[in-house]
Amino acid sequence: MSETTFMGVPRDKIPWFPTIDYDKCNFCMECDTFCPHKVFERREGDRKLVVANPDNCVVFCRACSKTCGPDALSFPNKPEIIALIKQIRDEEAAK
Amino acid sequence: MKRAILSCNGLDKPEGSVARELAIRAAEAISGEIICPVLLNRAPARYKKALGENSLIVVDGCSTRCASKLAAGLEARVDRKVLISDVVKASGHKLPSTLTLGPDGLTMAQTIVDELVRNLNAPAAASESTSIFEAPTEFLTVMHDKFEFRIPVVDYLFNENDVWVRAADGVARVGISDYMQQKLTDISFFDFPKGDSTVEQFGELGSLESTKAVFEIISPATGTVASANSAVIANPALINEDPSGAGWLVELKLTNWPQDQEMLIDASAYAEIVKRKAAEE
Repeated sequence: MSETTFMGVPRDKIPWFPTIDYDKCNFCMECDTFCPHKVFERREGDRKLVVANPDNCVVFCRACSKTCGPDALSFPNKPEIIALIKQIRDEEAAK
Repeated sequence: MKRAILSCNGLDKPEGSVARELAIRAAEAISGEIICPVLLNRAPARYKKALGENSLIVVDGCSTRCASKLAAGLEARVDRKVLISDVVKASGHKLPSTLTLGPDGLTMAQTIVDELVRNLNAPAAASESTSIFEAPTEFLTVMHDKFEFRIPVVDYLFNENDVWVRAADGVARVGISDYMQQKLTDISFFDFPKGDSTVEQFGELGSLESTKAVFEIISPATGTVASANSAVIANPALINEDPSGAGWLVELKLTNWPQDQEMLIDASAYAEIVKRKAAEE
């Protein structure tokens, strides 16, 4: 679905998005209420919240996790993502 | 400077127990008044005098940030903030598992108090402007609905996380864009990075807090923190008033600028990003 890029790299090649720890999440929905990019979606059933649109997440943004009282949201290792972005840029430049 | 402490009372989480213990010990250490958040919420007049005379140390237990949210509704100036869950995570220790603190929990609270008091007494990072950066004069303008976003042109580069940088003589000045300050609305606190700390490009250069969000400042460059803007620390609203000029945040001594620039974009490219972001919201 992603036609956008981040630093010249197609967004869907950058695995930056929140992961919900369902052992901690209490489904207070603060993160979903906060996030203006519709990364999360509310569902019926046990998992009342899911990361439905990971590519909508702003790369390097962790603002939703700063609303999370139970500390249930985690993000990838930033230096690894930066290295990946640089690698993809280099590969594109070499083409 | 006189300080009062507005802290999470946290009766439902161990983070709250640590916050409460920290507040009591910090108040003793600095002879400061404790502001009970429950009473403040119920009868704010009780603390009118204390809030008028003191700046606040705000202590939150967890990221629900009840104390911060209460503080945001007050006129009082916030001087320092502590978020227990972050401090504990950064320390590599484990939170107590019970609400009643044992020896480890009490030691943890005391360690955080000691660090807080040390920081309060330490001189702030050198924070005077180097004066080599003149106010911007030329702007691109992006219009979206009733909003107008001004993007400074000459000398300014941007990352896609809405942070600008301008460099001269091995020093860079960093701030947030007009678009981001409007998105955050009233900025009430600048958690500035420590002087002489090093930061990688895309690392964290402190954070900004408004009633809407906590915004991590994603560094556009690699370097050493030379100074934080004391005018902004004292009056974060300056960022809303003049984000590209007087509301600058940090100055860095650059250590990798030629390579860093390859990962940044100019004003016209940033204008396209702003258009896209504004349209998506």
